[in-house]
Amino acid sequence: MAERTSADRPPDIAQSDFAEIVRLHQSMVFSIAQHFLADRLAAEELAQDVFLQLHANLPTLKSEAHVTFWLRKVTAHRCIDYKRRRKLPQVSLDDAPEPVAPTQSADPFLARRLRRFVASLPEKPRLVMILRYQEDMGAEDIAAVLAMPLATVKSYLQRSLAILREKVTRTIGKVTI
Amino acid sequence: MNKNMTPDNDTNPMDEILKRTLQRQEAPDGFADRVLARLSERRSSQKPSLRDSWLRFLAQPLVRWAALAAFATAMILSGHLHNLRRERAEGEAAKQRLMLALRIAGSKLQLAKSRVNEINAGQPERPEERE
Repeated sequence: MAERTSADRPPDIAQSDFAEIVRLHQSMVFSIAQHFLADRLAAEELAQDVFLQLHANLPTLKSEAHVTFWLRKVTAHRCIDYKRRRKLPQVSLDDAPEPVAPTQSADPFLARRLRRFVASLPEKPRLVMILRYQEDMGAEDIAAVLAMPLATVKSYLQRSLAILREKVTRTIGKVTI
Repeated sequence: MNKNMTPDNDTNPMDEILKRTLQRQEAPDGFADRVLARLSERRSSQKPSLRDSWLRFLAQPLVRWAALAAFATAMILSGHLHNLRRERAEGEAAKQRLMLALRIAGSKLQLAKSRVNEINAGQPERPEERE
């Protein structure tokens, strides 16, 4: 029987490294949940649950990239589960008040409004947008994480962008978008 | 952004705004510590179940070998016992057949003896035998 080399042997993720893994990925996990739920307390609770689940699954994860992929996937699924369980009210885009004046793109008001618009998207398109723009992931990677066809991911991206552009233009005015 | 992911090039400013808007946020202070605290709390509250204890006990190599040996011994003894029972049943059947054969032979002998007696009783005595 051939002896395994250190190159092809999966790295052993020791329990003592768990705290380091949490610190490394906490921003990613918390931000996905925060952008999806738009609720800081709920996002922290969900992110903690994700890391507790990660701890139980550490022996099955073979690399750092695998850990990142697993965290994104589990966080995304937990976000959808959480939303369905709690039945959080969706913010209607039509209910958003009109701004008093057009705003520059760097304005925090625009960022706040955009976050609300993103939070009002349907669940899966919202997750696609968060993974695309928060994590800077390509469509193929998003399709793998969310276990959905590539064409669906591209369609969600295009439709969500069109909706956001239209809503921003209508609400804030023709800014530099 | 990949061109195949956006409908046209004029969405690039929108891409930049979205990236800024949806950029990662810092987790709340003490987040990792709270995760670790929940983990240790969960560990201390989790008592091993009876099933887990048994599984851990059975997972020991010595116990596994002992269980295997006990199973093999039980299988051998069971086979031996089965053979003994079968041989005993066959012996019993042979004994019954022998007893039946003896009974039949005995009744046949009895019949032959009574015939011989009848024949002997019906024959007259010879004169020379009397002299």
